[in-house]
Amino acid sequence: MKTIAIPERVHEKLIYLKLEKKKKNIAEIIDRLIEEHKENVFRQECELFRKRLAKKGDTLFDLLKKSRKIREEIANEWF
Amino acid sequence: MNGSNIKAVIDTNIIFMALYNEESKAGRIIKLARKNKLKLFSADNIKEEIKRVPKREYGYTDEEIFRLINELPIEWVKKENYIPVLDKTKVKHKADKPLEALSLVLGCEILSAGAHFKDRIDINKFLEIIEKSP
Repeated sequence: MKTIAIPERVHEKLIYLKLEKKKKNIAEIIDRLIEEHKENVFRQECELFRKRLAKKGDTLFDLLKKSRKIREEIANEWF
Repeated sequence: MNGSNIKAVIDTNIIFMALYNEESKAGRIIKLARKNKLKLFSADNIKEEIKRVPKREYGYTDEEIFRLINELPIEWVKKENYIPVLDKTKVKHKADKPLEALSLVLGCEILSAGAHFKDRIDINKFLEIIEKSP
């Protein structure tokens, strides 16, 4: 176990969240917050990815075809 | 079977499919790995493919590529680790050999939508087992 120092107002918020989410301890709340954060960031990555494909007018099939070609290129360079 | 003990080698097409639709089966695979219910590995040539495709075809900057790679819950394995078993692979296509070699080294399945690998594993069953694990 490790200890971290946090301001009292943050502590209060975490305790409130712990009660609201019916979690056993603060660690579970922090774990959940980290997980949600990672999900949000990944969702943003997905949005950017779709936008870039749309900008080029590519479908997923087009992308996979291009990816396949680049794989061949890497294989020829590396192996 | 504990989900966190389940490992698999992931192919580029599954990664791109997940990015295209995070609610798809591919997206569920990434999500499970993020929750530590599944341990994903891939070869460094796949990482290179993930870098080159968005950069060359879709104008990603180096920073965007770095962020994208960083957000993937995948452990990248260097070629020194799988090259010794390349000649033990069954797949004919040279470009697909590293993935199979890595799966031999790690002793696990390959998650791929590619013609050479897609029939080796029932993705629905695979997802069901992991999603039901505690």
